[in-house]
Amino acid sequence: MKLYLLPLLLYLFASNTVNAAPTGRIFVTNERSNTVSVISGDSLAVEETIEIGERPRGIGLSPDGTELYVAVSEENKIKVIDPVSLKILREFEAGSDPETFAVHPNGNIYISNEDDAKATVFNPKTGEQVAEIRVGLEPEGVAISPDGRRVIVTSESTNMLHVINAEDNTIESNILVGSRPRAATFTQSGNIAYATAEISGEVVKVDIASAKVIKKGTTGDSSSKPKDVVLSKDESTLYVAGGRANKVVVMDADSLEIIKKIPVGKRVWGLAISKDGKRLFTTDGVSSTVSVIDTDKNEVIKIVDVGKFPWGIVIND
Amino acid sequence: MIKRHIAHMLPGVMMLLLVSNSVFAESIEVTFAYIGQADPNPLLGVQQGLDEANLQGQFLNQRYKLDIISNENMSKNDYSKYIAILTSVDSDTFTKLTESLPDMPIFNLSLKDDNLRTSCIRNALHIIPSNSMISDAVKQWKMKKAESDANAYAWHPDFVKFAARDLNKRFKKSANVEMNDYSWAGWAAVKMTSDTVARTNITDPAKLLTYLRTELIFDGQKGSDMNFRETGQLRQPMLLVENNNIVAEAPVRGIAKPPTLDSLGTLNCQK
Repeated sequence: MKLYLLPLLLYLFASNTVNAAPTGRIFVTNERSNTVSVISGDSLAVEETIEIGERPRGIGLSPDGTELYVAVSEENKIKVIDPVSLKILREFEAGSDPETFAVHPNGNIYISNEDDAKATVFNPKTGEQVAEIRVGLEPEGVAISPDGRRVIVTSESTNMLHVINAEDNTIESNILVGSRPRAATFTQSGNIAYATAEISGEVVKVDIASAKVIKKGTTGDSSSKPKDVVLSKDESTLYVAGGRANKVVVMDADSLEIIKKIPVGKRVWGLAISKDGKRLFTTDGVSSTVSVIDTDKNEVIKIVDVGKFPWGIVIND
Repeated sequence: MIKRHIAHMLPGVMMLLLVSNSVFAESIEVTFAYIGQADPNPLLGVQQGLDEANLQGQFLNQRYKLDIISNENMSKNDYSKYIAILTSVDSDTFTKLTESLPDMPIFNLSLKDDNLRTSCIRNALHIIPSNSMISDAVKQWKMKKAESDANAYAWHPDFVKFAARDLNKRFKKSANVEMNDYSWAGWAAVKMTSDTVARTNITDPAKLLTYLRTELIFDGQKGSDMNFRETGQLRQPMLLVENNNIVAEAPVRGIAKPPTLDSLGTLNCQK
Protein backbone atom coordinates (compact mmCIF):
# COMPACT_ATOMS: atom_id res chain seq x y z
CA MET A 1 0.00 0.00 0.00
CA LYS A 2 1.22 3.40 -0.94
CA LEU A 3 1.83 5.38 2.22
CA TYR A 4 0.30 8.57 0.88
CA LEU A 5 -3.08 6.83 0.76
CA LEU A 6 -3.01 6.19 4.47
CA PRO A 7 -4.38 9.56 5.66
CA LEU A 8 -7.21 9.32 3.15
CA LEU A 9 -8.10 5.80 4.29
CA LEU A 10 -7.94 6.83 7.92
CA TYR A 11 -10.14 9.78 7.20
CA LEU A 12 -12.73 7.65 5.42
CA PHE A 13 -12.64 5.06 8.19
CA ALA A 14 -13.08 7.68 10.87
CA SER A 15 -15.84 9.54 9.11
CA ASN A 16 -17.71 6.30 8.46
CA THR A 17 -17.73 5.24 12.05
CA VAL A 18 -18.49 8.60 13.55
CA ASN A 19 -20.89 9.87 10.96
CA ALA A 20 -22.61 7.26 8.84
CA ALA A 21 -23.32 8.51 5.34
CA PRO A 22 -26.85 9.91 5.37
CA THR A 23 -29.33 7.80 3.45
CA GLY A 24 -30.91 10.80 1.73
CA ARG A 25 -34.28 9.32 2.62
CA ILE A 26 -37.34 11.31 3.65
CA PHE A 27 -39.36 9.79 6.50
CA VAL A 28 -43.05 10.56 7.01
CA THR A 29 -45.38 9.56 9.87
CA ASN A 30 -48.91 8.61 8.78
CA GLU A 31 -51.20 9.37 11.72
CA ARG A 32 -54.16 7.23 10.58
CA SER A 33 -52.29 4.38 8.83
CA ASN A 34 -50.01 3.80 11.83
CA THR A 35 -47.03 3.66 9.48
CA VAL A 36 -43.88 5.52 8.46
CA SER A 37 -43.44 6.06 4.70
CA VAL A 38 -39.83 5.95 3.50
CA ILE A 39 -39.27 8.12 0.42
CA SER A 40 -36.10 7.77 -1.61
CA GLY A 41 -34.27 11.06 -1.90
CA ASP A 42 -33.14 10.15 -5.43
CA SER A 43 -36.32 8.86 -7.05
CA LEU A 44 -38.71 10.76 -4.72
CA ALA A 45 -40.83 7.59 -4.65
CA VAL A 46 -41.91 5.57 -1.62
CA GLU A 47 -39.47 2.70 -1.27
CA GLU A 48 -40.83 1.14 1.89
CA THR A 49 -43.57 1.49 4.50
CA ILE A 50 -42.84 0.64 8.14
CA GLU A 51 -45.59 -0.54 10.51
CA ILE A 52 -44.87 1.56 13.60
CA GLY A 53 -47.84 1.56 16.03
CA GLU A 54 -50.90 3.59 16.91
CA ARG A 55 -51.04 7.25 15.87
CA PRO A 56 -47.46 8.13 14.94
CA ARG A 57 -46.90 11.89 14.89
CA GLY A 58 -43.61 13.59 15.79
CA ILE A 59 -40.49 12.39 13.99
CA GLY A 60 -36.80 13.31 14.24
CA LEU A 61 -33.23 12.16 13.77
CA SER A 62 -30.32 11.81 16.16
CA PRO A 63 -27.66 14.51 15.66
CA ASP A 64 -25.41 12.03 13.82
CA GLY A 65 -28.31 10.83 11.67
CA THR A 66 -27.93 7.19 12.66
CA GLU A 67 -31.21 6.84 14.54
CA LEU A 68 -34.72 7.83 13.62
CA TYR A 69 -37.18 8.60 16.43
CA VAL A 70 -40.96 8.38 16.08
CA ALA A 71 -43.50 9.50 18.71
CA VAL A 72 -46.22 6.84 18.77
CA SER A 73 -48.85 8.91 20.55
CA GLU A 74 -51.51 6.37 21.52
CA GLU A 75 -48.88 3.97 22.83
CA ASN A 76 -47.11 6.73 24.82
CA LYS A 77 -43.81 5.67 23.30
CA ILE A 78 -40.87 6.77 21.24
CA LYS A 79 -39.76 4.06 18.83
CA VAL A 80 -36.22 4.04 17.46
CA ILE A 81 -35.63 3.02 13.84
CA ASP A 82 -32.39 2.33 11.98
CA PRO A 83 -32.66 4.67 8.95
CA VAL A 84 -30.51 2.26 6.90
CA SER A 85 -32.03 -1.16 7.63
CA LEU A 86 -35.43 0.39 8.51
CA LYS A 87 -35.73 -2.04 11.44
CA ILE A 88 -37.23 -0.93 14.74
CA LEU A 89 -34.27 -1.07 17.13
CA ARG A 90 -35.97 -0.34 20.45
CA GLU A 91 -38.65 1.73 22.15
CA PHE A 92 -39.12 3.59 25.38
CA GLU A 93 -41.98 5.14 27.41
CA ALA A 94 -42.21 8.84 26.66
CA GLY A 95 -44.90 10.14 29.02
CA SER A 96 -48.56 10.72 28.25
CA ASP A 97 -49.51 11.33 24.62
CA PRO A 98 -46.14 12.34 23.13
CA GLU A 99 -46.80 14.52 20.12
CA THR A 100 -44.09 16.77 18.79
CA PHE A 101 -40.46 16.65 19.78
CA ALA A 102 -37.08 18.02 18.80
CA VAL A 103 -33.63 16.52 19.20
CA HIS A 104 -31.01 18.56 21.04
CA PRO A 105 -27.43 18.67 19.68
CA ASN A 106 -26.43 16.66 22.79
CA GLY A 107 -28.74 13.86 21.66
CA ASN A 108 -31.53 14.35 24.21
CA ILE A 109 -35.13 14.54 23.04
CA TYR A 110 -37.49 17.34 24.16
CA ILE A 111 -41.09 16.16 23.94
CA SER A 112 -44.38 18.00 24.39
CA ASN A 113 -46.85 15.92 26.38
CA GLU A 114 -50.14 17.37 25.24
CA ASP A 115 -52.33 15.84 27.96
CA ASP A 116 -50.15 16.77 30.89
CA ALA A 117 -49.21 20.42 30.45
CA LYS A 118 -45.53 19.55 30.50
CA ALA A 119 -42.48 18.96 28.39
CA THR A 120 -40.19 16.06 29.16
CA VAL A 121 -36.56 15.47 28.27
CA PHE A 122 -35.40 11.95 27.46
CA ASN A 123 -32.05 10.35 26.77
CA PRO A 124 -32.98 8.16 23.82
CA LYS A 125 -29.93 5.93 24.30
CA THR A 126 -31.11 4.79 27.73
CA GLY A 127 -34.80 5.68 27.51
CA GLU A 128 -34.46 7.53 30.80
CA GLN A 129 -36.27 10.76 31.59
CA VAL A 130 -33.71 13.48 32.23
CA ALA A 131 -36.02 16.35 33.16
CA GLU A 132 -39.59 17.53 33.28
CA ILE A 133 -40.69 21.10 32.66
CA ARG A 134 -44.17 22.36 33.61
CA VAL A 135 -45.60 24.44 30.76
CA GLY A 136 -49.02 25.72 29.71
CA LEU A 137 -52.02 23.74 28.46
CA GLU A 138 -51.76 21.61 25.36
CA PRO A 139 -48.05 21.93 24.71
CA GLU A 140 -47.38 21.34 21.04
CA GLY A 141 -44.47 22.70 19.04
CA VAL A 142 -40.88 22.17 20.16
CA ALA A 143 -37.89 23.99 18.66
CA ILE A 144 -34.25 23.97 19.74
CA SER A 145 -31.72 26.67 18.87
CA PRO A 146 -28.91 25.33 16.67
CA ASP A 147 -26.35 26.06 19.42
CA GLY A 148 -28.47 24.04 21.86
CA ARG A 149 -28.77 26.85 24.40
CA ARG A 150 -32.52 27.27 24.31
CA VAL A 151 -35.67 25.32 23.68
CA ILE A 152 -39.08 26.73 22.79
CA VAL A 153 -42.23 24.83 23.70
CA THR A 154 -45.50 26.31 22.45
CA SER A 155 -48.60 25.79 24.59
CA GLU A 156 -51.67 26.02 22.42
CA SER A 157 -54.42 26.68 24.90
CA THR A 158 -52.27 29.04 27.00
CA ASN A 159 -51.17 31.04 23.91
CA MET A 160 -47.51 31.09 24.87
CA LEU A 161 -44.01 30.34 23.79
CA HIS A 162 -42.09 29.04 26.79
CA VAL A 163 -38.40 29.72 26.34
CA ILE A 164 -36.42 27.11 28.23
CA ASN A 165 -32.77 27.32 29.21
CA ALA A 166 -31.43 23.94 28.05
CA GLU A 167 -28.59 23.95 30.55
CA ASP A 168 -30.79 23.54 33.63
CA ASN A 169 -34.15 22.95 31.88
CA THR A 170 -35.90 25.85 33.57
CA ILE A 171 -38.22 28.37 31.96
CA GLU A 172 -36.40 31.58 31.16
CA SER A 173 -39.32 33.56 29.72
CA ASN A 174 -42.92 33.20 28.58
CA ILE A 175 -43.99 35.08 25.48
CA LEU A 176 -47.69 35.61 24.80
CA VAL A 177 -48.50 35.27 21.11
CA GLY A 178 -51.69 34.82 19.04
CA SER A 179 -54.30 32.15 19.68
CA ARG A 180 -53.14 28.54 19.51
CA PRO A 181 -49.40 28.72 18.82
CA ARG A 182 -48.43 25.52 17.06
CA ALA A 183 -44.85 25.52 15.85
CA ALA A 184 -41.64 27.51 16.13
CA THR A 185 -38.19 27.67 14.61
CA PHE A 186 -34.95 29.46 15.55
CA THR A 187 -32.47 31.31 13.36
CA GLN A 188 -28.90 29.94 13.29
CA SER A 189 -27.78 32.52 15.86
CA GLY A 190 -30.59 31.53 18.19
CA ASN A 191 -31.41 35.20 18.85
CA ILE A 192 -34.63 35.24 16.84
CA ALA A 193 -37.45 32.74 16.57
CA TYR A 194 -40.54 32.51 14.43
CA ALA A 195 -43.81 30.94 15.51
CA THR A 196 -47.23 30.29 14.04
CA ALA A 197 -50.58 30.82 15.77
CA GLU A 198 -53.34 28.71 14.29
CA ILE A 199 -56.57 30.42 15.34
CA SER A 200 -55.41 33.99 14.92
CA GLY A 201 -53.75 33.02 11.61
CA GLU A 202 -50.56 34.78 12.63
CA VAL A 203 -46.85 34.36 12.15
CA VAL A 204 -44.75 36.14 14.76
CA LYS A 205 -41.11 37.04 14.93
CA VAL A 206 -39.75 36.98 18.45
CA ASP A 207 -36.61 38.47 19.97
CA ILE A 208 -35.40 35.90 22.46
CA ALA A 209 -33.25 38.14 24.67
CA SER A 210 -36.03 40.66 25.34
CA ALA A 211 -38.77 37.98 25.17
CA LYS A 212 -40.85 40.24 22.92
CA VAL A 213 -42.80 39.85 19.70
CA ILE A 214 -41.01 42.19 17.30
CA LYS A 215 -43.09 41.60 14.18
CA LYS A 216 -46.43 40.09 13.28
CA GLY A 217 -47.66 38.86 9.93
CA THR A 218 -50.72 36.97 8.82
CA THR A 219 -51.16 34.14 6.37
CA GLY A 220 -53.68 36.23 4.50
CA ASP A 221 -57.02 34.42 4.43
CA SER A 222 -59.34 33.09 7.09
CA SER A 223 -59.15 29.45 5.95
CA SER A 224 -55.42 29.56 6.49
CA LYS A 225 -54.60 28.08 9.89
CA PRO A 226 -50.81 28.01 9.94
CA LYS A 227 -48.88 25.11 11.40
CA ASP A 228 -45.22 24.26 10.69
CA VAL A 229 -42.72 26.98 9.93
CA VAL A 230 -39.19 26.65 8.49
CA LEU A 231 -36.53 29.11 7.38
CA SER A 232 -34.68 29.06 4.08
CA LYS A 233 -30.98 28.30 4.26
CA ASP A 234 -30.01 31.97 3.87
CA GLU A 235 -32.70 32.90 6.47
CA SER A 236 -34.26 35.45 4.10
CA THR A 237 -37.43 33.47 3.50
CA LEU A 238 -39.96 31.81 5.74
CA TYR A 239 -42.12 28.88 4.68
CA VAL A 240 -45.37 28.40 6.57
CA ALA A 241 -47.72 25.43 6.21
CA GLY A 242 -51.13 27.00 5.58
CA GLY A 243 -53.33 24.16 6.94
CA ARG A 244 -56.77 24.13 5.30
CA ALA A 245 -55.82 26.87 2.88
CA ASN A 246 -53.95 24.02 1.16
CA LYS A 247 -51.01 26.26 0.46
CA VAL A 248 -47.49 26.87 1.62
CA VAL A 249 -47.21 30.57 2.40
CA VAL A 250 -43.83 32.03 1.45
CA MET A 251 -42.96 35.11 3.48
CA ASP A 252 -40.16 37.60 3.66
CA ALA A 253 -38.45 36.66 6.93
CA ASP A 254 -37.71 40.28 7.72
CA SER A 255 -40.98 42.06 6.94
CA LEU A 256 -43.26 38.99 7.26
CA GLU A 257 -44.92 40.07 4.03
CA ILE A 258 -46.30 37.36 1.78
CA ILE A 259 -44.17 36.71 -1.29
CA LYS A 260 -46.11 33.83 -2.75
CA LYS A 261 -48.59 31.08 -1.94
CA ILE A 262 -47.75 27.66 -3.32
CA PRO A 263 -50.76 25.35 -3.77
CA VAL A 264 -50.13 21.91 -2.27
CA GLY A 265 -52.40 19.09 -1.03
CA LYS A 266 -55.20 19.43 1.48
CA ARG A 267 -54.60 20.40 5.12
CA VAL A 268 -50.87 20.91 4.91
CA TRP A 269 -49.20 20.76 8.32
CA GLY A 270 -45.70 19.31 8.27
CA LEU A 271 -42.66 20.91 6.63
CA ALA A 272 -39.04 19.84 6.21
CA ILE A 273 -36.31 21.60 4.25
CA SER A 274 -33.21 19.90 2.89
CA LYS A 275 -29.80 20.86 4.30
CA ASP A 276 -28.80 22.45 0.99
CA GLY A 277 -32.02 24.46 1.13
CA LYS A 278 -33.12 23.41 -2.36
CA ARG A 279 -36.05 21.15 -1.55
CA LEU A 280 -39.02 21.70 0.74
CA PHE A 281 -41.28 18.76 1.61
CA THR A 282 -44.83 19.10 2.93
CA THR A 283 -47.25 16.64 4.54
CA ASP A 284 -50.72 17.14 3.09
CA GLY A 285 -52.89 15.42 5.72
CA VAL A 286 -56.27 15.12 4.02
CA SER A 287 -54.81 14.38 0.57
CA SER A 288 -52.49 11.70 1.99
CA THR A 289 -49.61 13.10 -0.04
CA VAL A 290 -46.20 14.67 0.33
CA SER A 291 -45.56 17.63 -1.98
CA VAL A 292 -41.98 18.34 -3.05
CA ILE A 293 -41.20 22.01 -3.68
CA ASP A 294 -38.25 23.43 -5.59
CA THR A 295 -37.28 26.45 -3.49
CA ASP A 296 -35.57 28.28 -6.38
CA LYS A 297 -38.84 28.46 -8.30
CA ASN A 298 -41.15 28.02 -5.30
CA GLU A 299 -43.12 25.44 -7.28
CA VAL A 300 -44.27 21.91 -6.60
CA ILE A 301 -42.19 19.52 -8.68
CA LYS A 302 -43.59 16.24 -7.45
CA ILE A 303 -46.49 14.82 -5.42
CA VAL A 304 -45.84 11.56 -3.60
CA ASP A 305 -48.69 9.34 -2.32
CA VAL A 306 -48.08 8.22 1.24
CA GLY A 307 -50.27 6.74 4.04
CA LYS A 308 -53.40 8.25 5.59
CA PHE A 309 -53.06 11.65 7.28
CA PRO A 310 -49.32 12.18 6.90
CA TRP A 311 -48.21 14.32 9.87
CA GLY A 312 -44.50 14.65 10.62
CA ILE A 313 -41.61 14.67 8.16
CA VAL A 314 -37.81 14.58 8.43
CA ILE A 315 -34.97 14.31 5.93
CA ASN A 316 -31.92 12.11 6.55
CA ASP A 317 -29.49 14.32 4.60
CA MET B 1 -67.42 15.63 43.39
CA ILE B 2 -65.14 18.10 41.72
CA LYS B 3 -61.54 17.01 41.68
CA ARG B 4 -59.37 19.82 40.63
CA HIS B 5 -56.03 18.24 39.85
CA ILE B 6 -54.50 21.27 38.28
CA ALA B 7 -55.41 23.42 41.24
CA HIS B 8 -53.80 21.00 43.65
CA MET B 9 -50.39 21.27 42.11
CA LEU B 10 -50.60 25.01 41.62
CA PRO B 11 -49.49 26.53 44.93
CA GLY B 12 -45.92 25.17 44.91
CA VAL B 13 -45.27 25.92 41.29
CA MET B 14 -46.86 29.32 41.65
CA MET B 15 -44.69 30.33 44.54
CA LEU B 16 -41.60 29.52 42.53
CA LEU B 17 -42.79 31.34 39.47
CA LEU B 18 -44.10 34.31 41.37
CA VAL B 19 -40.64 34.88 42.71
CA SER B 20 -38.87 34.50 39.37
CA ASN B 21 -41.43 36.46 37.37
CA SER B 22 -42.22 39.25 39.76
CA VAL B 23 -39.34 41.29 38.43
CA PHE B 24 -40.94 41.38 34.99
CA ALA B 25 -44.66 41.39 35.49
CA GLU B 26 -46.89 43.40 37.73
CA SER B 27 -49.11 41.17 39.79
CA ILE B 28 -52.75 41.06 38.75
CA GLU B 29 -55.66 39.51 40.57
CA VAL B 30 -59.16 39.44 39.17
CA THR B 31 -62.38 38.01 40.60
CA PHE B 32 -65.46 36.75 38.82
CA ALA B 33 -68.93 36.52 40.31
CA TYR B 34 -71.11 33.55 39.49
CA ILE B 35 -74.87 33.57 39.88
CA GLY B 36 -76.58 30.33 39.02
CA GLN B 37 -79.67 28.32 39.53
CA ALA B 38 -80.20 24.54 39.65
CA ASP B 39 -78.06 23.23 36.77
CA PRO B 40 -74.52 22.48 38.03
CA ASN B 41 -72.98 22.34 34.53
CA PRO B 42 -72.27 26.04 33.92
CA LEU B 43 -70.43 26.28 37.23
CA LEU B 44 -68.39 23.16 36.49
CA GLY B 45 -67.32 24.79 33.25
CA VAL B 46 -66.52 28.04 35.05
CA GLN B 47 -64.33 26.17 37.53
CA GLN B 48 -62.51 24.42 34.68
CA GLY B 49 -61.92 27.79 33.05
CA LEU B 50 -60.64 29.17 36.32
CA ASP B 51 -58.16 26.32 36.82
CA GLU B 52 -56.84 26.89 33.32
CA ALA B 53 -56.69 30.65 33.80
CA ASN B 54 -54.60 30.13 36.91
CA LEU B 55 -52.33 27.71 35.09
CA GLN B 56 -51.73 30.43 32.51
CA GLY B 57 -51.56 33.03 35.28
CA GLN B 58 -48.65 31.32 37.00
CA PHE B 59 -46.45 32.28 34.04
CA LEU B 60 -47.65 35.90 34.07
CA ASN B 61 -48.08 36.60 37.76
CA GLN B 62 -51.86 36.71 37.45
CA ARG B 63 -54.48 35.15 39.70
CA TYR B 64 -58.12 34.42 39.01
CA LYS B 65 -60.75 33.97 41.70
CA LEU B 66 -64.44 33.21 41.87
CA ASP B 67 -67.22 34.31 44.23
CA ILE B 68 -70.39 32.27 44.05
CA ILE B 69 -73.30 34.55 44.90
CA SER B 70 -76.41 32.91 46.33
CA ASN B 71 -79.81 33.93 45.04
CA GLU B 72 -80.68 35.47 48.42
CA ASN B 73 -77.62 37.72 48.36
CA MET B 74 -77.87 38.59 44.71
CA SER B 75 -79.59 41.95 45.05
CA LYS B 76 -77.63 43.20 48.09
CA ASN B 77 -74.19 42.03 46.96
CA ASP B 78 -71.42 44.55 46.24
CA TYR B 79 -70.38 43.95 42.64
CA SER B 80 -67.72 46.63 42.41
CA LYS B 81 -64.81 44.22 42.94
CA TYR B 82 -65.66 41.94 40.01
CA ILE B 83 -64.28 41.92 36.52
CA ALA B 84 -67.36 40.17 35.12
CA ILE B 85 -70.49 38.32 36.19
CA LEU B 86 -71.17 34.83 34.94
CA THR B 87 -74.84 33.88 35.00
CA SER B 88 -77.07 30.89 34.56
CA VAL B 89 -80.36 32.45 35.61
CA ASP B 90 -83.88 33.05 34.27
CA SER B 91 -84.56 35.67 31.66
CA ASP B 92 -86.03 38.28 34.04
CA THR B 93 -83.13 38.05 36.46
CA PHE B 94 -80.66 38.32 33.61
CA THR B 95 -82.30 41.42 32.18
CA LYS B 96 -82.46 43.08 35.60
CA LEU B 97 -78.78 42.35 36.25
CA THR B 98 -77.73 43.88 32.94
CA GLU B 99 -79.80 46.98 33.72
CA SER B 100 -78.56 47.44 37.27
CA LEU B 101 -74.86 47.00 36.31
CA PRO B 102 -74.61 48.72 32.93
CA ASP B 103 -70.79 48.81 32.71
CA MET B 104 -70.25 45.26 33.87
CA PRO B 105 -69.82 42.42 31.34
CA ILE B 106 -72.64 39.96 32.11
CA PHE B 107 -72.15 36.54 30.57
CA ASN B 108 -75.21 34.47 29.68
CA LEU B 109 -74.32 30.80 29.96
CA SER B 110 -77.76 29.23 29.62
CA LEU B 111 -80.55 31.36 28.10
CA LYS B 112 -81.33 30.71 24.44
CA ASP B 113 -84.10 33.34 24.04
CA ASP B 114 -83.81 35.23 20.78
CA ASN B 115 -85.36 38.37 22.22
CA LEU B 116 -82.39 38.71 24.58
CA ARG B 117 -80.23 38.95 21.45
CA THR B 118 -82.40 41.19 19.28
CA SER B 119 -82.82 43.65 22.16
CA CYS B 120 -79.05 44.22 21.90
CA ILE B 121 -78.28 44.69 25.57
CA ARG B 122 -74.94 46.46 25.47
CA ASN B 123 -73.30 44.63 28.38
CA ALA B 124 -74.73 41.16 27.65
CA LEU B 125 -72.38 38.49 26.34
CA HIS B 126 -74.34 35.44 25.19
CA ILE B 127 -72.02 32.45 25.04
CA ILE B 128 -74.73 29.83 24.66
CA PRO B 129 -76.14 29.71 21.11
CA SER B 130 -79.61 31.18 20.62
CA ASN B 131 -82.70 29.22 19.56
CA SER B 132 -82.47 30.68 16.06
CA MET B 133 -78.84 29.54 15.74
CA ILE B 134 -79.94 26.04 16.67
CA SER B 135 -82.85 26.01 14.23
CA ASP B 136 -80.74 27.49 11.40
CA ALA B 137 -78.08 24.83 11.93
CA VAL B 138 -80.72 22.08 11.77
CA LYS B 139 -82.31 23.70 8.67
CA GLN B 140 -78.96 23.72 6.87
CA TRP B 141 -78.38 20.07 7.65
CA LYS B 142 -81.88 19.10 6.48
CA MET B 143 -81.17 20.74 3.12
CA LYS B 144 -78.42 18.19 2.77
CA LYS B 145 -80.22 15.27 4.37
CA ALA B 146 -83.99 15.86 4.34
CA GLU B 147 -85.01 12.85 6.41
CA SER B 148 -82.59 13.74 9.14
CA ASP B 149 -83.65 14.00 12.76
CA ALA B 150 -80.68 16.01 13.96
CA ASN B 151 -80.40 18.53 16.73
CA ALA B 152 -77.75 21.24 17.02
CA TYR B 153 -75.47 21.83 19.99
CA ALA B 154 -72.65 24.11 21.01
CA TRP B 155 -70.58 21.17 22.21
CA HIS B 156 -70.46 17.38 22.44
CA PRO B 157 -68.33 15.05 24.59
CA ASP B 158 -67.34 13.02 21.50
CA PHE B 159 -66.05 16.09 19.64
CA VAL B 160 -62.34 15.55 18.94
CA LYS B 161 -61.31 17.96 16.20
CA PHE B 162 -59.55 21.26 16.84
CA ALA B 163 -58.23 20.05 20.20
CA ALA B 164 -61.83 19.53 21.42
CA ARG B 165 -60.55 16.12 22.42
CA ASP B 166 -58.09 17.73 24.81
CA LEU B 167 -60.70 19.95 26.43
CA ASN B 168 -63.17 17.06 26.77
CA LYS B 169 -60.47 14.91 28.33
CA ARG B 170 -59.28 17.39 30.91
CA PHE B 171 -62.82 18.47 31.83
CA LYS B 172 -63.92 14.86 32.37
CA LYS B 173 -60.83 14.27 34.46
CA SER B 174 -61.48 17.20 36.80
CA ALA B 175 -65.31 17.45 36.84
CA ASN B 176 -66.10 13.73 36.58
CA VAL B 177 -68.88 14.43 34.11
CA GLU B 178 -68.84 14.99 30.38
CA MET B 179 -68.71 18.48 28.96
CA ASN B 180 -72.00 19.78 27.52
CA ASP B 181 -73.18 23.08 26.05
CA TYR B 182 -73.54 24.74 29.44
CA SER B 183 -70.20 23.68 30.88
CA TRP B 184 -68.55 24.65 27.60
CA ALA B 185 -70.19 28.08 27.86
CA GLY B 186 -68.92 28.50 31.44
CA TRP B 187 -65.42 27.47 30.42
CA ALA B 188 -65.45 29.74 27.35
CA ALA B 189 -66.59 32.84 29.29
CA VAL B 190 -63.71 32.53 31.76
CA LYS B 191 -61.20 31.61 29.05
CA MET B 192 -61.95 34.62 26.84
CA THR B 193 -61.70 36.90 29.88
CA SER B 194 -58.42 35.45 31.12
CA ASP B 195 -56.99 35.49 27.58
CA THR B 196 -57.88 39.17 27.42
CA VAL B 197 -56.43 39.98 30.84
CA ALA B 198 -53.26 38.09 29.92
CA ARG B 199 -52.84 40.02 26.68
CA THR B 200 -53.90 43.48 27.77
CA ASN B 201 -53.58 43.62 31.58
CA ILE B 202 -57.14 45.00 31.58
CA THR B 203 -58.79 44.68 34.98
CA ASP B 204 -61.51 47.29 34.54
CA PRO B 205 -64.94 45.76 33.71
CA ALA B 206 -65.96 48.49 31.25
CA LYS B 207 -62.66 48.20 29.36
CA LEU B 208 -62.99 44.44 29.33
CA LEU B 209 -66.50 44.76 27.88
CA THR B 210 -65.27 47.01 25.09
CA TYR B 211 -62.36 44.71 24.28
CA LEU B 212 -64.51 41.58 24.24
CA ARG B 213 -67.13 43.17 22.00
CA THR B 214 -64.75 44.80 19.55
CA GLU B 215 -61.33 43.15 19.51
CA LEU B 216 -61.71 39.57 20.65
CA ILE B 217 -60.22 36.68 18.63
CA PHE B 218 -61.24 33.72 20.74
CA ASP B 219 -60.07 30.13 20.46
CA GLY B 220 -63.03 28.14 21.79
CA GLN B 221 -61.47 24.84 20.67
CA LYS B 222 -64.01 24.53 17.87
CA GLY B 223 -61.68 25.43 14.99
CA SER B 224 -62.88 28.95 14.13
CA ASP B 225 -61.82 32.16 15.73
CA MET B 226 -64.83 33.56 17.57
CA ASN B 227 -66.06 37.05 18.34
CA PHE B 228 -69.29 38.83 19.25
CA ARG B 229 -72.10 40.11 17.11
CA GLU B 230 -73.73 43.49 17.68
CA THR B 231 -76.47 41.50 19.45
CA GLY B 232 -73.97 40.31 22.03
CA GLN B 233 -74.13 36.75 20.69
CA LEU B 234 -70.86 34.81 20.32
CA ARG B 235 -70.37 33.71 16.72
CA GLN B 236 -69.53 30.04 16.73
CA PRO B 237 -69.71 26.80 14.78
CA MET B 238 -72.30 24.27 15.98
CA LEU B 239 -72.43 20.50 16.00
CA LEU B 240 -75.23 18.49 14.41
CA VAL B 241 -76.00 15.40 16.39
CA GLU B 242 -78.16 12.39 15.45
CA ASN B 243 -78.74 9.60 17.96
CA ASN B 244 -75.97 11.07 20.07
CA ASN B 245 -73.50 10.85 17.16
CA ILE B 246 -71.91 13.96 15.65
CA VAL B 247 -72.88 13.91 11.97
CA ALA B 248 -71.78 17.35 10.79
CA GLU B 249 -70.67 20.81 11.75
CA ALA B 250 -72.66 23.95 11.01
CA PRO B 251 -72.33 26.16 9.02
CA VAL B 252 -72.90 23.09 6.80
CA ARG B 253 -70.38 23.04 4.00
CA GLY B 254 -71.87 23.67 0.55
CA ILE B 255 -75.23 24.69 2.06
CA ALA B 256 -74.64 27.65 4.31
CA LYS B 257 -75.31 31.03 2.70
CA PRO B 258 -73.45 33.14 3.47
CA PRO B 259 -70.84 30.45 4.06
CA THR B 260 -69.86 31.95 7.38
CA LEU B 261 -70.77 31.75 11.02
CA ASP B 262 -73.33 34.49 10.31
CA SER B 263 -75.50 31.97 8.46
CA LEU B 264 -76.58 30.87 11.95
CA GLY B 265 -79.06 32.94 13.92
CA THR B 266 -80.32 36.52 13.94
CA LEU B 267 -77.79 39.26 13.29
CA ASN B 268 -79.61 42.51 13.82
CA CYS B 269 -80.99 44.56 16.63
CA GLN B 270 -84.68 45.41 16.74
CA LYS B 271 -84.56 49.14 17.03
